[in-house]
Amino acid sequence: MARLLLLLWSLGPMFWQLYSSLKPSEALSGVGAGGWTLENYRQLLQGDPPFLTYLINSVEVGASSTALTLALAVPCAYALSRLSRRQARALTSLVAAAAAFPAVLLFLALLELARDWHLANQLLALSLPYAGLCLPLVILLLQAAFADIPIVLEEAALIEGMDLWQRLRWILLPLMAPAMASSALLVFLFSWNEYPIALTWLSRTELLTLAPAMARIAGSSVYTIPYGAFAAATVLGSAPLILLMLLFQRQIISGLTQGAIKG
Amino acid sequence: MSVPVSAGDGFKGLELRQLSRRVGSHTLVDQLSLTVAPGEILALLGPSGCGKSSTLRLIAGLDPASSGEIQLGGRNITALPPAERQVAMVFQSYALFPHLSVERNLSLGMELRGMARGEIQRELDQVLALMQLEWLRQRKPAELSGGQRQRVALARALIRRPALFLLDEPMSNLDAQLRDNLRAELRTLLRSTGVPVVYVTHDQHEAMGLADQIAVLREGRLQQLGTAERLYRDPANRFVARFLGSPTINLIERGTTQLGLRPELLELTDAGSPVPQGWDALEGQLSHREWLGDRVISHVQCAEQGTLRVLSREAPTSAALQVRWRQADALRFDARSGERLPGSNTPHTD
Repeated sequence: MARLLLLLWSLGPMFWQLYSSLKPSEALSGVGAGGWTLENYRQLLQGDPPFLTYLINSVEVGASSTALTLALAVPCAYALSRLSRRQARALTSLVAAAAAFPAVLLFLALLELARDWHLANQLLALSLPYAGLCLPLVILLLQAAFADIPIVLEEAALIEGMDLWQRLRWILLPLMAPAMASSALLVFLFSWNEYPIALTWLSRTELLTLAPAMARIAGSSVYTIPYGAFAAATVLGSAPLILLMLLFQRQIISGLTQGAIKG
Repeated sequence: MSVPVSAGDGFKGLELRQLSRRVGSHTLVDQLSLTVAPGEILALLGPSGCGKSSTLRLIAGLDPASSGEIQLGGRNITALPPAERQVAMVFQSYALFPHLSVERNLSLGMELRGMARGEIQRELDQVLALMQLEWLRQRKPAELSGGQRQRVALARALIRRPALFLLDEPMSNLDAQLRDNLRAELRTLLRSTGVPVVYVTHDQHEAMGLADQIAVLREGRLQQLGTAERLYRDPANRFVARFLGSPTINLIERGTTQLGLRPELLELTDAGSPVPQGWDALEGQLSHREWLGDRVISHVQCAEQGTLRVLSREAPTSAALQVRWRQADALRFDARSGERLPGSNTPHTD
């Protein structure tokens, strides 16, 4: 019974959006009745630029942010997990402090950076602040995952004659796949949903990521609120995430609970 | 202390010279010197914390030596990284890579060293056949029994064709029955490699059953190096005497000296029997017996000397007993230092 309620609570709104996206706008605002329609989707996909552009932009930014974050976090986390306990503790609290810092306070500074370094309207440049903001948390997650791997496995690999890169590539990272998957998803979700930086760094319409693009759709007309189009955008925008979750759900779940059992 | 092979510069085996490892104020390994000839199995034996595993890690190159030297095949390997030492190690936990199949566990190292695919396949087939693992090729370590995991770990070490074999308590995760069965098999396998073998264990039976030479360690220091028989019959000190032998040696106080009496060299008769020339005796009460099938361990409570353990074929018939021994059979130790005193027994050979 509790599970059913939970499912209703989390899936209900999604179905409501799906339902709304398939109704004509008039029916949604209570004027006139309407049957089912794909008009909202057609309008989005044939818009200028087509909605697909925003999706692709978001996927690009998400993928590059994720790659950059992991590429930086893996060596950091490895080093932290191999330092002496005292050094590691000091550094870990620094990283934790960075993770806890309210990111809102950085927006103005980031904007300055974007101007000075000519990063505005460069889609992939968004990965820099995104990776920067996600890095502390991902380092902590991966550090716990490294610490969970018995050191003797790496020693065995060392005696087998593997160098550092080979040990990472063939022994450690495969064993951390769950933690890597859940960290990757975390970064991807963050950059997918991120609004203020994307809004301030990007102004050219064809470069927009999903969040600012949807804000534009919602505010495109002064007189009517395009409920139907907005609902359709929400559905299209969350579809890739649902797909990702379905693909990697096993890794993600075991990654999220991994640290929990062993403290 | 005898060294089995004279250690010249042309010595092909393993040689440790004054090897030490200190961490902070702790000395884990203290001035350890020993040699292991090719094809010889040396057991490092001692209680936990005696430095035997630390020594193995030094030889493998997993920890740096504080001072001293490690020579292998006439070459100084003290400062070399593990990969360049040509050593193979079997870990206590086996350290199999859990995400790889048995086959890949064995072949990964060779693949990364750039060995030709055909050659890898040949080596794999050979080792898998030798270790009777062919039918488990595709299994993951989690799907193997303890004994099978151990064979995979051994196979992974063998396939490297190392210049030195290191084993860190490879039997301690197996049940007692399997351990007994495997000892002879393992010994044959290790000897067939023709390279020096260093075998760490805290189990005296394993050391005695497997090794050509046993080095007994205590607090990082070598206590005695020799064959099992030598260590048993002619121990250098009380520690070695107590560590080897089951049931453990009996110790009785005689002023400033302590007598060490092996349980099988004690005889039981009825209390009050006359003591023959050249014998010594104590009288006591039988407290209980352990029946082992072919032998009986009688625990005899003696006044002021505690309980003596006597190993005999026949169970004693009465409760009031005399425990006696040939004076020449008693080992004499300094009561305070535990050092062996001269003039005790001459080593037996019976």
